[in-house]
Amino acid sequence: MVYGGVSRAVKTLRAVSASHLPVFPPTQATKSSFDPQTWGQLQPPPSTALSAFAHRIGLGAVLTDTDDILKACTHPSILSLAPSSSSQPIETNAHLSTLGNALMGLFATEYVNATYPYLPTRVLKAAVTAHVGPQSCANAALEMGAVPLLRWAPKASSSAVSWTPQTPAVQRTDALASIPRALTALVYHHRSLPSARQFVHSYFLLSRQVDVRSMIKFVDPKKALKEMVAKFGRDPPKSRLLKETGRFSNSPVFVVGIYSGEDKLGEGFGASLKMAEYRAAEASLLAVYLTRRPPDDLNLPTDTFPRGLGDIFAEDAENEGDYLPPDLPHAEVMYASGGRSGRIASEAS
Amino acid sequence: MQPVPLFRARLASAPANGHVAFIPQIRKLVFEYCNDWPSSANTRTFLQRELIPFARDNPHVEIVVKQRNRKEPVVRGYYVNGRDKVIALNKLEVTGIQKKLQLLLDASGLKIKPLKRRTVESTTEAARGIWSGLHAERPQL
Repeated sequence: MVYGGVSRAVKTLRAVSASHLPVFPPTQATKSSFDPQTWGQLQPPPSTALSAFAHRIGLGAVLTDTDDILKACTHPSILSLAPSSSSQPIETNAHLSTLGNALMGLFATEYVNATYPYLPTRVLKAAVTAHVGPQSCANAALEMGAVPLLRWAPKASSSAVSWTPQTPAVQRTDALASIPRALTALVYHHRSLPSARQFVHSYFLLSRQVDVRSMIKFVDPKKALKEMVAKFGRDPPKSRLLKETGRFSNSPVFVVGIYSGEDKLGEGFGASLKMAEYRAAEASLLAVYLTRRPPDDLNLPTDTFPRGLGDIFAEDAENEGDYLPPDLPHAEVMYASGGRSGRIASEAS
Repeated sequence: MQPVPLFRARLASAPANGHVAFIPQIRKLVFEYCNDWPSSANTRTFLQRELIPFARDNPHVEIVVKQRNRKEPVVRGYYVNGRDKVIALNKLEVTGIQKKLQLLLDASGLKIKPLKRRTVESTTEAARGIWSGLHAERPQL
């Protein structure tokens, strides 16, 4: 090989004009059905990458077939790019994603409900969304390193225009979110429901943090506290000023405690007496809503499903787990009688 | 006054890698070597002798070997956060290459930032609580 000879040859070349050459038609004018861009998007990632992905998330022994992993990483929107007359149809994660989404919703709901038995229903639903919703699933897929493995297209189907209300464009977040759901369904398919539950618990419920406190919003906490205390059959709440400083200055601080008889329900600070009482009512309500059951005491309904491969419809008493239902807590208070207005005391409508 | 409503599509959770399940952050290792030049000799020895047992011990890493003639030997580590770390292997012995690979395996892919100026960073409040003058006992002489 001659090193350094190439650059000298380039320097001695003279500029040649190409204006006498015929002009080629643009690429779109040709009748060829082959588009290199589309072909590139359709190519599957190497099987080594898929296998490494399975091992990275701890499912190396469960997902031994790389075709399964490829199927889990292929969003159905890729079919809009695939040629209709192809010999091998592309397998997508449409069914797996739907099944996995249902399973994740089941596991998350029972876990959050068992962990926070007094949480208001709308907050419970928001907490479940925060744990296993589309944004969380997409973030989890990102952190697992599934981004280079994802196959998707921005269009819903090949005949669709870019965006219409009936066929909205596919978002990358939704395409990414389908991957963990498909993985959950694959674990359920290859192992059992308790194994799928363990997968969801490890990656979405116990290894991710959700701030439940910020989801609880108050409109009239004093009224809500009055109704809650009445429901529990305790003495009506009475606010007492505990400490104060700087009452007539430009920065007063008041500390108010709310008592039911002799028990202090909650305490709050504020720059005015009203604000301090408001915060004290909020603190009292939060003390009830955010009551947390310790993880060792959790009794989940899916404990009754049998472990190991088997038929969930068959009678299998030895393989089934035990479930001891906990005591049902008091339901949350409602503003209007009979719950007809739909307004819940602790939240905005 | 109505509080700000929650938008369901924006609700998300914060990651806590390692609390129960740990995802190793290294995704792929790409080895580039030259077939002829002596600077790649140790790298070639490593690839022939040690690479396959190394790959078996780390099934979570995708390993790619690229021949790049007339270039210096290099290993590139690609991480889950999209960044990559590049380490030159031309002046290393085989044991040195193994040590650098262990460094790449253990790394998180984040940009190296100085820790000497950083105060405590946490998602939770203080364990013992923040001192309040209105709740503490008045000092007595």
